[in-house]
Amino acid sequence: MTLANVIEWLVKGLVWVLILLGGFAYLTYYERRALARIQVRVGPNRAGPWGLLQPIADAIKLIFKEEFMPARADKLLFTLAPIITLTPALVITAVVPFGPESASFQLFGRTITWYIADLNVGVLYIMSIASIAVYGIVLAGWSSNNKYATLGGLRSTAQMLSYELALGLSFIAVIVLANSTRLLDIVEAQKGMWFAVLQPVGFVIFLIATLAEVNRAPFDMPEAEQELAAGYHSEYGGMKFALLFMAEYDKMIAICTIAASLFLGGYREPWFLRDTVLGVDQTPWLGPLYVFIKVFILLFGMIWVRATWPRIRYDRLMAFGWKILLPLSLALVFLTSIGMLLAEQVNPLYQWGIPLASLAAGFIAILGMYQTLRRKEYARA
Amino acid sequence: MDFTLLLFFLLAATAVATALGLLLSRNAVYAALFLVLNFATVAVFYLLLGAPFVAMTQVTVYAGAIMVLFLFVIMLLGAEKLPKGEALPWQRPLAIGAAVILFAEAVYLLVQRVRLTAALPDPGTWENSMESLRQMAGMLFTDYLLPFEVTSLLLLVAMIGAIVLTKGERAVRS
Amino acid sequence: MTAPAPVETLDLAARFPGWVTPDSRPGYSGWIVEKDKLLDFARALRDDLGYDYLSSVTGVDYLPEGKMEVVYHAYKTTGGPGVNFKVQVERRDPVEVPSLVSIYPGAEFQEREAWDLLGIKFTGHPDLRRILMWEDFAGHPLRKDWREAYFEEEFKPFKSRWPEGKFQMAEDKARLGDNLSFPAGFDPRKKTDFDPEKALYEALRQYQKTESGLETEHLLVNIGPHHPSTHGVFRVAVVLDGETIVNLKPVMGYLHRNHEKIGERNTFLMNMPYTDRLDYLTSMSNNFGYALAVEKLMGITPPERAEYIRVMMAELTRIANHVWAIGFLLNDLGAYFTPMLYAQEERELILDIFEAVSGSRMMCNYFRFGGVARDLPDGVLEKVRDLAFDRLPRKVDELENLLADNEIIRARGIGQGVLTAEDAIRYSTSGPLLRASGIPYDVRRAEPYSIYDRLEFDVACRPNGDIYDRMMIRFDEIRQSLRIIQQTVKQIPAGPIMAVKPAYQVRVPPGEAYGRVEGPKGELGFYIVSTGKSSPWRYHVRAPSFINLTAFGPMCVGQKIADLVAILGSIDIVLGECDR
Repeated sequence: MTLANVIEWLVKGLVWVLILLGGFAYLTYYERRALARIQVRVGPNRAGPWGLLQPIADAIKLIFKEEFMPARADKLLFTLAPIITLTPALVITAVVPFGPESASFQLFGRTITWYIADLNVGVLYIMSIASIAVYGIVLAGWSSNNKYATLGGLRSTAQMLSYELALGLSFIAVIVLANSTRLLDIVEAQKGMWFAVLQPVGFVIFLIATLAEVNRAPFDMPEAEQELAAGYHSEYGGMKFALLFMAEYDKMIAICTIAASLFLGGYREPWFLRDTVLGVDQTPWLGPLYVFIKVFILLFGMIWVRATWPRIRYDRLMAFGWKILLPLSLALVFLTSIGMLLAEQVNPLYQWGIPLASLAAGFIAILGMYQTLRRKEYARA
Repeated sequence: MDFTLLLFFLLAATAVATALGLLLSRNAVYAALFLVLNFATVAVFYLLLGAPFVAMTQVTVYAGAIMVLFLFVIMLLGAEKLPKGEALPWQRPLAIGAAVILFAEAVYLLVQRVRLTAALPDPGTWENSMESLRQMAGMLFTDYLLPFEVTSLLLLVAMIGAIVLTKGERAVRS
Repeated sequence: MTAPAPVETLDLAARFPGWVTPDSRPGYSGWIVEKDKLLDFARALRDDLGYDYLSSVTGVDYLPEGKMEVVYHAYKTTGGPGVNFKVQVERRDPVEVPSLVSIYPGAEFQEREAWDLLGIKFTGHPDLRRILMWEDFAGHPLRKDWREAYFEEEFKPFKSRWPEGKFQMAEDKARLGDNLSFPAGFDPRKKTDFDPEKALYEALRQYQKTESGLETEHLLVNIGPHHPSTHGVFRVAVVLDGETIVNLKPVMGYLHRNHEKIGERNTFLMNMPYTDRLDYLTSMSNNFGYALAVEKLMGITPPERAEYIRVMMAELTRIANHVWAIGFLLNDLGAYFTPMLYAQEERELILDIFEAVSGSRMMCNYFRFGGVARDLPDGVLEKVRDLAFDRLPRKVDELENLLADNEIIRARGIGQGVLTAEDAIRYSTSGPLLRASGIPYDVRRAEPYSIYDRLEFDVACRPNGDIYDRMMIRFDEIRQSLRIIQQTVKQIPAGPIMAVKPAYQVRVPPGEAYGRVEGPKGELGFYIVSTGKSSPWRYHVRAPSFINLTAFGPMCVGQKIADLVAILGSIDIVLGECDR
């Protein structure tokens, strides 16, 4: 480990953090415009052309707001909590590659790659950072000395712990498919076929679990406006609120980046473009662009869900996580492993048994869910 | 001085400080948070020792899951403030005595066994840990199969116990 | 179309000799019940005669006669005219009357209100606390000898402001302190150790402790008055076991302005715009109820065309209210504004029509005694026709398609917050809440007013009484309202719109009247007592939002805290009406 190494990491990290901060600002703009479109409204269009300066206006407003602290709040933790919340959101994407090795460029005599850290246990790193992301929210809720906030914090703890299991298991399916925990390997392993196609149900579980992990609708229990006022950030205002808000949106970006890398081929082109000029092997600099496009589309999905669905009740959310997602993702790990074993030992074509089997498993889960709902309705009538 | 060694001392100091904070803080939430920091520091130690898998597991399992549950319970019960003066009369001298012995042992080990200049593996030269993962999994399912299964059985029993406890309450209510 | 129920000749005096005497004052009807026999009488009325629905409880302070009267209106949920019975007691502070909560649990809040505002102590009431005023308020403001801080005169128009139109702030005429009166021994500069919340929390603690092996700690949470989903300044004090509701008490009165006292100062016509502010989403419907009550007293009926316009406006109001209610229920379920904005689009179009006919989108003030204020302007009928025949049916179907089969809505609505049919009657709930519980009771059919007996429509009814049914019944009612509007648009005759010459001062003969309409939120009743003067002697509003909340607590117990919000949304309250 040399000084130059450290400086390179620092610079890369700084650049990525700045991108995330800018991305956060414009993600809020993107979300507000998209929501407005869905809701037959116009959305912010006053500040600057097409309202493009709106995030800056928001930032200025938040910066100049009074820093409010409730009486009998735990001052230290109340101040620390937003920072603790934001940090995991910023560092979690450190292992995600944004471009192939071939897109690396030379700067000051060093080869600059398109990732911050090439960690062998990249997926595990993501898991561990995701698992500590809950602290900030819990502490924010607890230190506010407010019942709503505390309830919100506690809800988020239980929720994130429950959905982490399904999330982790869907990671394992990917690890099995790629035969590596290193994100570069995982992305390269999707050269032939995206894992979203090979493991579609795993992808859906991943998306559902991440919605719960980042507390987005319809799993926004910790901040359920209608029940808990604003949950864990009820008492926050000004810059501290901005940090919590930033953490939520940066988590969205991070999780979409990860989803893109794990399931949608990361910086790789769509598999059918592999041998054309649009392929990353032919035109390496397209890699970051592909990541951006994938993240953009995934983010729209999150916004769309928020605009469309009501909130699930908390106990139902937990029941769904434990009784449906967890068994289903366990089954997927099992099916994926069997499929890979068969593909390696017998015939590569058995690989296609994985999506079929997992779709069947997903179908059974949906059927079970539907049956329980129906049963309730019969009981009612 | 080597950069890694500097890092080691920094981490060691943090680990000791957070451990002390855990012991000395009167607020249970703070104590739990110090413990989380301690776990995180230890995880970085594992990284420095070239065991990234253990490090990540340490963070995920201890800091990410177990301590969150601790915090959950502390906050739910509102037990963050420890009552004063509940110590048994002989508790403090005993604790001090035990601590002194432990510290002496540690110093002895440090002086006798460990060379401060022992080279730590450079993080840049990590092997692909998929190999070690594979080895670990292989060992778990062959050499250590019995302990592994016994442990899982124990955990299952504990889990069922917890469910039965809460279920029993609900059955009485309805 | 059902035939009007045959009018029973009910001679309660013969049936209960010695208990009941007919009310023989001129202009009055109903029966006067002996105070000691009230409970027995009410039980017999409910169990033997079938008057299972207690619509309204209120009191009247007859200061000159030195009497207080408690007035009850009971109905049969099978339809037909109601029975009006009264208890008279000597005027004291406080007067004591036996509580009817044990027979009609729906009297709970209304009796609390009568205690709060009139000082009638209902003995045997389980939780007799003030409800609209705060706990250490001095006096009972609806008593005729109670005067507000800046009291000027008993009746409007105040001489200081009329006829010259000069205006002097009451605060300037009477400096603070000059006309303030404190109870004996009270010093406003000294802090009292009286805790106004104590009574509430003590009442909350009275619930059956659950028998369980594990001791759990219950958490008391105050939801509101400042909370995004209480639909205004409404507060619920909830006792929680985890997230499960163990007990709750609604707390209201944060928007209380003593509407009824203002109404008793106002002249009859001056009250009309005030009724707009009751349920500010359904001002046309409020106007309707008030106009109906006063017209009953005056003995006039509006001309045909006015009746058609009234019904058209009332039904448009119902649609506007129901799309709003559905939209906000969805918001309460956590849908981020999208359904609400879709619903609101339709409401805006209806408000356009209100603006065209009355000049105002929300505070319409459109009805007059004996008709409506203005005739329909040109083009409005076409607009209504477009809405009723084309756009609204389409849009309602679209909205229902989007919402009715949504899995999350079904999961959160079906079987949640159930109000059984029996409970719905017992708690005197009305409107969609009652009909979603399987009781097809609709004032428009049960005791038809205006031209509803000539119009074809069905009473919407759903069997399960859960949140989902309460949402879906609003779609059903919108469809029925559309049918009514379609008929009125086709049949509306030409002609005058006022039965009498418009006048600022109406002559109302002495007597009492209870006018009730099927408002969008439920049965909206106005109980009016006139002494022949320019202002009503007693002006009472039977507010559906307020009385429907009686069933709120029982519906919520055992549910999760998220359901509380959804249940409140499915009741559909407006605080302007609830707090009055």
